[in-house]
Amino acid sequence: MTFQKTRVLPFVVIGAAAMVWSMPVGVDGQAAKTPAPAASKRAIPRLADGHPDLQGTYDLATLTPVERPAGSPLVMSDEDGVKLERQAAARRDQLGAPIDGNRAAPPVGGDGSAGPAGNVGGYNNFWIDAGSRYTVIDGQRRASLLIDPPDGRVPQMTPQARQRFARNIRPTSDQSAREDDPGFEGGGAYDDPERRPLGERCLMGFGSTSGPPVLPNYFYNNLHQIVQTKDSVLILTEMVHDARVVRMNAEHLPKTVTKWMGDSVGHWESDTLVVDTTNFSEKTRFRGSTPNLHIVERFTRVDPKTLMYRFTIEDPDTWTKPWTAEYTWPATDELLYEYACHEGNYAMGNILRGARLKEVNDAKKTSKQQ
Amino acid sequence: MRSKLLMSAAGLLVAIAPVMGHHAFGGEFDPNKPVLLKGKVTKLEWVNPHAWIHVEIPKADGAEACQFTPNAKCDEWMVEGGTPNTLLRRGITRDSLKAGTELVIDGYQARDHSLNRANGRNVTYPDGRKLFLGSSGTGAPTDGADPTEAPKGRGRGGQ
Repeated sequence: MTFQKTRVLPFVVIGAAAMVWSMPVGVDGQAAKTPAPAASKRAIPRLADGHPDLQGTYDLATLTPVERPAGSPLVMSDEDGVKLERQAAARRDQLGAPIDGNRAAPPVGGDGSAGPAGNVGGYNNFWIDAGSRYTVIDGQRRASLLIDPPDGRVPQMTPQARQRFARNIRPTSDQSAREDDPGFEGGGAYDDPERRPLGERCLMGFGSTSGPPVLPNYFYNNLHQIVQTKDSVLILTEMVHDARVVRMNAEHLPKTVTKWMGDSVGHWESDTLVVDTTNFSEKTRFRGSTPNLHIVERFTRVDPKTLMYRFTIEDPDTWTKPWTAEYTWPATDELLYEYACHEGNYAMGNILRGARLKEVNDAKKTSKQQ
Repeated sequence: MRSKLLMSAAGLLVAIAPVMGHHAFGGEFDPNKPVLLKGKVTKLEWVNPHAWIHVEIPKADGAEACQFTPNAKCDEWMVEGGTPNTLLRRGITRDSLKAGTELVIDGYQARDHSLNRANGRNVTYPDGRKLFLGSSGTGAPTDGADPTEAPKGRGRGGQ
């Protein structure tokens, strides 16, 4: 039964890691003094108006996570970086290796896989394109995207935010109230299609892929395309085909006008495009934030093949202080494909049908017991 | 020692990465209904967010005549995979998986048991090779890191 080992173990690891990811960690560091990225001396492409031409398609796949273990160094040694990249390649090799063609069906009661694999094991790794390299800035591999606070962790949430978060958070598969069915989410998570996550509903990419802030989703569909005119900049995200239009040199919309990706206005500071986003609706709630979320993104073309992307995010109703992250967006010749997510989203129907049938079966069990 | 500590911390980083997906599978499939499907491909639905591989499974009281097994009855099953976009970038198209290809699939059936649908927990050829990975290579995207690796389609670094 070796196939069970090769299949189950990675998901168990992922589940445990996801818990670490979500654990709030204290902050005691000083604000980072990392200088803003400067455009290299090398010639960068420019538009007719003289501003840098940021247009192109970029591949955001990276092994570098948003946060790193508290206090560990931001920059990896080359030796460690190479080792870790080899480990990631070895893991892909392992997941791609042949298994027993005469295997039996997986175990009754689930295979124990955690996280999105939901005790049923998800699907094969060959569908995944999670990246194979760490983000490199100034020739050095980064251990986290987050640069400030300098300990590499998102700042603590305010006490009010913690309470709000605990109240509003939809239980995940890992935290199911259903002890008899650990892959099934509790808390009425299937009661209404609108209670399902935006990604599952094909409305937004998961993991803040479309942003702002734009983050890698560490899974697949990592491409973004920028289209630029004098008056506006479009940021198109492959996952889930989200398009954000940045209005240049414009005022923010009235506070009463809120948007799922916020209201983005831009201006140039020297050769850096600065995008200011406010006016978030309550639909997206990045990491438990409120509509008071305020994000400043900085796009700098550091060389003809690379954009530096940096963002600073603040929401006094959510975090005790602002935080900043940065990573490079390497240009790619790849095509960004349409991700027509509604096209074949059988999963949504299967999920809701499954929940209704479970209700019926649970009711039958209850009436038998009475 | 410090180096060991760092490595274990950094090893965790590697594991942290893929924590999400388009949807959680636990709500869609029933952990108490494991299935092992041995049959032949009839159709590939090359759609987002998830591709679906259709296979016919010979069964004495099957719902319809098999396409690829003469004088036999089959049930058709649908098996859920991931996004076709990833495979397209490796040069794999909807025509790469031919109708009639024999597959072995293990997974779990949809929670609505009236549906012949399952997740493709493992989709392999009869000899156990993973689907699409049978010819050569590791299944990792062609990222240009390995100079001995031949470009596959429009794979990264494979121009």
